[in-house]
Amino acid sequence: MIEKLDVIGKQALEDLKSASSLELLEQLRVSLLGKKGALSEVLKGLGAVSADERPKIGAAANEWKRRIEETLEARKAQLETVALEAQLKSQRIDTSIPSRLSHRGTHHIITRTTRRLLQTFQRLGFDVTTGPEVETEFLNFEAVNIPKDHPARDMQDTFFMGPGVVLRTHTSSVQMRTMRSRQWPVRIVCPGAVYRSDHDATHSPMFHQVEGLWVDRGIKMSDLKGVLAFFARETFGPEVKVRLRPSYFPFVEPGAEVDVSCFQCGTKPVSTCKVCRGSGWLEILGAGMVHPRLLELAGYSGDDLTGFAFGIGIERIAMILHGVPDLRLMFSGDSRFLNQF
Amino acid sequence: MKISWNWLSEMVDLSALSGPDALAALLTRRGLEVEEILPQAQGFERVVTVKILERNKHPEADRLSLCKVSLGSGEPLEIVCGAQNMKAGDIVALAQIGARLPNGLKIEKSKIRGVVSNGMLCSETELGLKKESEGILILPETTPLGEPLAKILGLDDTILAFKLTANRGDCLSHFGMAREVAAALGVKAKRPDAAALPQATVSPISIHLDAGEAGPQFYGCLIDGVKVGPSPAWLVKKLEKMGSRSINNLVDATNLVMWELGQPVHAYDADLIEGKEIRVRTAKEGEELPLLDGTSIKLAGNELVIADAKRAVGLAGVMGGGNSEVRDSTRRVFLECAEFDPILVRRASSRHQKRTEASHRFERGVDPAGLTHAIARLSSLVLELAGGKVAGVASARLPSRAQLASREIRVAPDYFPRFLGMKCAPEQALKILTDLSCEVVKGAEDWNVRVPSWRKDLSLPQDLAEEIARTLGYDQIEETIPVLSSAPRSSWEDSSAGYVLMNQAKDALVAAGLSETINFSFTSRAELKAFDLASSAVLVNPLSEELEALVPSLLPGLVKNAIDQWSHHFGSESLAIRLFELRPTFSASGPIQAQGEMETGVKEAWKLSFVVSGPRYAQALQVEQAEVDFYDIKAIAESLFQALGARGVRLLPMSESRKGPHPLFHPGQSVEILAGNEVAGAFGLFHPGKARALKTRAPLWIGEIDWSLLAKQSRSPVKQAEFKPIPSFPPMERDFALVVRSDLPVDKITQVALKAGRPLAKAAKIFDIYRGSQVAEGMTSVAVRVIFYEESRSLQESEAEAASNQILAAWKKELGAELRG
Repeated sequence: MIEKLDVIGKQALEDLKSASSLELLEQLRVSLLGKKGALSEVLKGLGAVSADERPKIGAAANEWKRRIEETLEARKAQLETVALEAQLKSQRIDTSIPSRLSHRGTHHIITRTTRRLLQTFQRLGFDVTTGPEVETEFLNFEAVNIPKDHPARDMQDTFFMGPGVVLRTHTSSVQMRTMRSRQWPVRIVCPGAVYRSDHDATHSPMFHQVEGLWVDRGIKMSDLKGVLAFFARETFGPEVKVRLRPSYFPFVEPGAEVDVSCFQCGTKPVSTCKVCRGSGWLEILGAGMVHPRLLELAGYSGDDLTGFAFGIGIERIAMILHGVPDLRLMFSGDSRFLNQF
Repeated sequence: MKISWNWLSEMVDLSALSGPDALAALLTRRGLEVEEILPQAQGFERVVTVKILERNKHPEADRLSLCKVSLGSGEPLEIVCGAQNMKAGDIVALAQIGARLPNGLKIEKSKIRGVVSNGMLCSETELGLKKESEGILILPETTPLGEPLAKILGLDDTILAFKLTANRGDCLSHFGMAREVAAALGVKAKRPDAAALPQATVSPISIHLDAGEAGPQFYGCLIDGVKVGPSPAWLVKKLEKMGSRSINNLVDATNLVMWELGQPVHAYDADLIEGKEIRVRTAKEGEELPLLDGTSIKLAGNELVIADAKRAVGLAGVMGGGNSEVRDSTRRVFLECAEFDPILVRRASSRHQKRTEASHRFERGVDPAGLTHAIARLSSLVLELAGGKVAGVASARLPSRAQLASREIRVAPDYFPRFLGMKCAPEQALKILTDLSCEVVKGAEDWNVRVPSWRKDLSLPQDLAEEIARTLGYDQIEETIPVLSSAPRSSWEDSSAGYVLMNQAKDALVAAGLSETINFSFTSRAELKAFDLASSAVLVNPLSEELEALVPSLLPGLVKNAIDQWSHHFGSESLAIRLFELRPTFSASGPIQAQGEMETGVKEAWKLSFVVSGPRYAQALQVEQAEVDFYDIKAIAESLFQALGARGVRLLPMSESRKGPHPLFHPGQSVEILAGNEVAGAFGLFHPGKARALKTRAPLWIGEIDWSLLAKQSRSPVKQAEFKPIPSFPPMERDFALVVRSDLPVDKITQVALKAGRPLAKAAKIFDIYRGSQVAEGMTSVAVRVIFYEESRSLQESEAEAASNQILAAWKKELGAELRG
């Protein structure tokens, strides 16, 4: 009987190893290991075998069963791998076909730049405040120490809407609006559109500013410089330096024009530099210490009450940051421009 | 404002400075910004004056000459010259070896037809003095030899062009600037000399200050026997450098005084002054005044004028009258030096649009203590240039000017370092202020600082701090970060919440593939009219008709953006236009006028608007690509509402609008947006009639939303979305194929299902729509899926069945809908 088992077993292993498909393999499994399979058929004759022989035959049969199952699994895995490979091969696609691409929207770089600036100032403790674009002449001028018939009005060509009503020429108009509505300390940044009747390659009748105002006890001019230096480094790079030059704006005293060192060519300006045109410095904003007249108009009083204010032109910063050569592109509504950022 | 280096050197020692560049840097650092440095002569190095000793023929060329020239000393030089206009004895300009002329020509030692030429005799063209010239430049016989040509022509100078701020009127002259430079260099400025005038004598012309403080002082000087004629070359050159033309010796003298001292002065023909009196008075309404520039103005009545006994003879501080001006025949001249109210001068000059050098200075305020010297200087100059003799001196001044009180500022010396955040010892501050001509009187604690009469900009301790800071250099100010003395404002109450919400809306539209654009707030009335719109807020002084009307809607601008883009699109694919704008629109209910200090009466309504056209995908194969349609736009709107957490926003077919159809929208392919119960805007297809009129190239989908109404329905940025439990039991779905009338809005089907299937029907959605031969004419087959769900348990089949039956019954009853057979 053992011989019989050996014959079946050897033949079975050969058949399994050469089985060419998963179906054939399944047929073999049934014909070998099934209830009516070859092994079972042989073992049916076990009753006629002596009690001594039985364990040996049983062991031989189990051994063959194990070897058949093992071979079967191995072959099955082999065949499955082949089948999967064939399937993968047939399912190959051309990945170089253009994608089904959704439209990509963009924020205007004025918005992007404004947000970036506001974040920087918010980190220092400023709050965002806004005001109307159509403003009273009082808040736009008188309240920031530019009385009627003052030569400083020449600095800002103004659009009038009617008696005493203007399109604000600067976001400084928000200073008094805010100060009249709350007590000091005041720490605000005010973004928004402003208007001046000037239209050429470098002037737009509408543009954007961020106004900053900090009023508290003992604020000093070095605080202004420190805050602007932080802003400049956050905006243009850690190596950038600020330079203050004396200037005049009626709502501050002392006043300053503020330059940052060119972040492109740095300490060794080159005349071909597209950013600073060789000067090594970029004029970016006007600033100064709040004129005491403003605090008086706000109804503020307090010992040693001082403050600083600054006004940043957003377009200028955006143009520098993104390398935009022409201001007019900002308001062109041209997707070829807008979609670049 | 222009300053000549040479002229300035007459008044202050500039030897400590290496040149004009150093001066420009010094003054810019002190807040007097130099815009341009203009060297008068470039390329004149090594060009000198020479005398032609002999002119001979060139041995080898008929058309050339061989000249022997002398520099006055040393060996004569031989020069080959092609010009024909010179002769022996002429003084000419020689470009020596090594010169590089303004036209770029480099002079080298060369042989011309075999003869060595030691330079070149120059023409005015070669020197860049004229565009065209014939022959070489022949100089006057008296010209010294061997001198640099630039010096002879008065071109050895550099002009600095300043961009002066409005507070520094005291620097609008050479002497003013010299004072500033002197303070910076720690030296003294020298004022141009003047012989003292005789004390006021009995003048044949009397002066009357009828306008009070508006014209507080006036000095006059009558000179007899003057001879009007051309000015000497030095004077002509000085004026030319300032960009002003020489008129005659008298007028030039007045201009020179202004450029020297900053005090505008005037000369009248005394014989044209009637009644032997001069008055500073307010104009009479309607009074005519002919001016020097040949124009004539009608006075409004609030101007300050200079008048004689009968009529106005000058617009005070702005321009002299044409009826009293100095002529060639003038023999007696009356000189004026006065002070006028800056505001009145400014008003008069802007009302009559006469912005002059004089008005520019008076507006900024002249030195009230400088008048006596200015009239003396002017008189000296006139006597020097035009002869004659002083026939009378007259003056009038109000008590406020007779005893000029100097402004005093009390300040403690430790204020400067404390306020500026820079190192500044008291003795440093003292020196700086003293150098600036301030008188410092030290008290026990405070200083009493008397500021000079010409520094009208100094009245506060802060002003003095600026003087200290700009002298020490703003670069010496430290960098510090101020300390927060209180917590930042709560974002819960902050007015910035609205700003945050706007940014959320922008983010949502950007995510939907739209790009933000920013258009001007003003446009033309015609453009608005094309959209059936009109502006109620129009500029009084627009730049042009194109930019005069503040917009009531952002849509005209956006549609124009689309049209502009089509105009430069030449490809065969349709152009993707996807723009949005979130900005204010403007309206007024009546005439615009300020109401108090804070109110303008103009309403600013922020709108969120968009235009979309072109392909659905930015990129896709043709089989999958499609043009955007209403449902793409609806998706954009819905994604916006979702991002804002907006509740209570509904879309109503335009045909059902309470307001009636909107003129900008296709009535059958647009919806009205309802926020709460208010109409908050609309979106849909741009009206085909309008589209045709505006020649749009493709269907344009547009929308505009009133931002404040949408914001009201939106979740506040400080509030957080609330968690809803995730379903823990499986839902049951039932699909239905219904046949309904084609004019039935399909959302009625889902609305009815949700209502009738309560409480188990939790969601219903349309998932297919069919119109065609398989259903009857005028009918539509709609596939609906209803989802049943109970939070606490699994549903039984029978429960879904029962709910479905309720829904079917309601569909039939309310909508006439039948199950498709």
